[in-house]
Amino acid sequence: MSTAFIEFRGVTKAFSGKPVLRGMSLAVDKGEVMFIIGTSGVGKSVTIKHLIGLLRIDEGEIWFDGARVDQLPERALAPLRKRIGMVFQSSTLFDSMTLAENVALPLRKHGKLSHNDALAEARERLAQVYMAEYADRYPAELSDGMRKRAAIARTLALSPEVVLFDEPTTGLDPVSARRVDRLIRELADKLGMTAIVVSHDPPSIFGVADRVAFLYRGVVHVVATPAELRASPDPVVQQFITGRSKGPMETPGF
Amino acid sequence: MTVAGFLTTRITALGAAVLAATRAGVELWLVYVSTIAGIVRGFSRKNRRNRGELARQLHAVGNKSLVFIIVTLGFIGMVMTYQACLQLGRVTGDYSQVGSQFLRLIVSDFGPTLTGLMLATRVGAGIAAEIGSMKVTEQIDALRMSGVLPIDHLIVPRFVACVVMTLALSVIGSLVMYGAGGLTAQYSFGVNPHTFYDLSFIRPRHVVLMVVKALAYGAAIPIVAGFCGLRARGSSEGVGWATTAAVIGGSFAVIVLDFIISAAALFVTGGDL
Amino acid sequence: MIGERLVSGIGASALRITQEVGGIVVLTGQVLRALVPPRIDGRELVKNLHKMGNRSVPIVALTAFFAGALMMLQAGPFVKKFGATSLAGWGAGYAVLREIGPILIALMFSGRVGANNTAELSTMTVTEQLDGLRALAIDPVKFLVVPRVIAMMVMLVALTVIGDLVALAGATLVGRVMLGIDWSTMYYSFADNLTPYDFLHGVYKSIAFGAAIAMSSCYFGVTVRGGAVGVGKAVNAAVVAAAVSIMLLDFFLTYLTG
Repeated sequence: MSTAFIEFRGVTKAFSGKPVLRGMSLAVDKGEVMFIIGTSGVGKSVTIKHLIGLLRIDEGEIWFDGARVDQLPERALAPLRKRIGMVFQSSTLFDSMTLAENVALPLRKHGKLSHNDALAEARERLAQVYMAEYADRYPAELSDGMRKRAAIARTLALSPEVVLFDEPTTGLDPVSARRVDRLIRELADKLGMTAIVVSHDPPSIFGVADRVAFLYRGVVHVVATPAELRASPDPVVQQFITGRSKGPMETPGF
Repeated sequence: MTVAGFLTTRITALGAAVLAATRAGVELWLVYVSTIAGIVRGFSRKNRRNRGELARQLHAVGNKSLVFIIVTLGFIGMVMTYQACLQLGRVTGDYSQVGSQFLRLIVSDFGPTLTGLMLATRVGAGIAAEIGSMKVTEQIDALRMSGVLPIDHLIVPRFVACVVMTLALSVIGSLVMYGAGGLTAQYSFGVNPHTFYDLSFIRPRHVVLMVVKALAYGAAIPIVAGFCGLRARGSSEGVGWATTAAVIGGSFAVIVLDFIISAAALFVTGGDL
Repeated sequence: MIGERLVSGIGASALRITQEVGGIVVLTGQVLRALVPPRIDGRELVKNLHKMGNRSVPIVALTAFFAGALMMLQAGPFVKKFGATSLAGWGAGYAVLREIGPILIALMFSGRVGANNTAELSTMTVTEQLDGLRALAIDPVKFLVVPRVIAMMVMLVALTVIGDLVALAGATLVGRVMLGIDWSTMYYSFADNLTPYDFLHGVYKSIAFGAAIAMSSCYFGVTVRGGAVGVGKAVNAAVVAAAVSIMLLDFFLTYLTG
């Protein structure tokens, strides 16, 4: 049994022999906004993809709401994926559908709504992320920030208890990025949603996070509140948050 | 919408389509002309680097398609002989002409044309995928920046390799088809191999027809594929489109060329084929 | 040295082919499994039928026309030499309905619809849209692959039926214009020598061709790796696999029913 809402225990994962996660552990409480930060390629996205079974861990355990989820077969993952939504880095809106159709898809598939009811509902959901006027446009016609917001609306359509955000502000201009930040904070404050956010964007980290997990060398190096993190004497943490190119940090690939 | 309005939109759409087709035709022609010019330049310059590339392309087009051609033409040779014998058995029961007529058909048409169709799929798609990927990742622009003509560097070696190898593979494919057909006739219908492998109906003009067709297909496939690849836009989606267009364009070019050459041959010889 | 390379090359190809055939079989299993209970996404099915039909009808009709015309041209020498006009319709019709028609139509369908489908699915795969579906608890096989497979099978059968008629028209036209066989002779030549079974033989083979094109097209689409380069390679592999499967299936189905 696990007492935390979401818990990773000693998770390891290697890609073609190259270890990425080496016994990573992390516990997330219900209703908090947990940021996972770290350099590129350190395994942040990999970590959250494990939670909904898009990737499989090599060793360790993952627990969600008192049940072990890392060994569930693909067909048994559907209920879990309805409770845990994910917003991908690349938005992954379906090219061949308008924004409204994109958001309507999960409603139609899982909400047992007819196509027209689902579309009407989808328009409302898009209005919540200030995208109502773009409901009939195709993803290719829109900016990254707009696509991101539509993708968030699509993920929220199933009213998940947990939302995983994979670099929600990467590639956005600063204004769009702060809007996405505010949205994440509102979801947690108003709806009591749990959020795990993968990011390396300092303004997001210090503006939105309840707690921050710093991933380094395949394990969680530090878990702390943003204030504690800023005050941390750890030289690696300091190098990361101040963004210095020289320091004790090992950066694979450089 | 009024009738006039409807007609106007239709005519506008048609006009746009014709314009686009004309522009594509001109571009295709330009690729062809530049390729020929590139070959002439290549001969006069004796470029060593391009020879290495040519050898690599000969291998990619020829050797790597060999198994594919043998398998596909072998099976279709068996099927065609089987169908022909089946039908003859119902009508006359006389199998004495099957082999010689089959060979005539293979040499003057099926051999080169089916090889051409298969190569349009295998090689045409490969060329378009490769060049299309280079186009969307801006490698073609990088070539231009370093003073290399993309057509000389990319299309010329593929063109030469394709012309040579289509001819070679047509000959191999025809032999496989004929051989497989003979085996089928022997084992399924008891046709004596000596009766089947009868070369007396083959005349030089059939062989000329085969060579002409193979050369025409071999020239058309890389030009169409290269043209499609160079037109690729966007990212992965653009490459997918280019590859699709190359397969369909190449196959269709083979079928149309086959029709034109066959009809011309029929007229030139006065039906004495 | 060369022998060694040849053997290892053959081994590597054999391994790759086995892997791909295995993958296609597994995907076919998943498609069949997703059909129980038969809950197909109607909107996707209709959308795909519409799109595939729109894209392929003109090119397939043209191909079929040329296929008929070509077979009649091949009969040309007989007509000119022996005046065997009734034989021309028989030979051309029989070849078109049983073999050349279904095969050429299937190859063109694979090039147009199959390749296009691979391009579309592989683009979705490399841009993580399949993972996006999974994250929404929607099974990509059920939602994307099943409707496409059904649409392709239905569409190819329909196109073969239409194409057969167009091909006979092409043969008739060439017979009239280039060989001087008049309309009624040609009509009786077809009507007397061809049976409905010749027609059905081609059509039922097209069901199998459609399944083969659909499975290889979807398989290479959902298993693609590596961006734009990968998409091009996937499309290439899909059309090659489809062409080989069409020829192999044609052989086995012809023997089975011969």
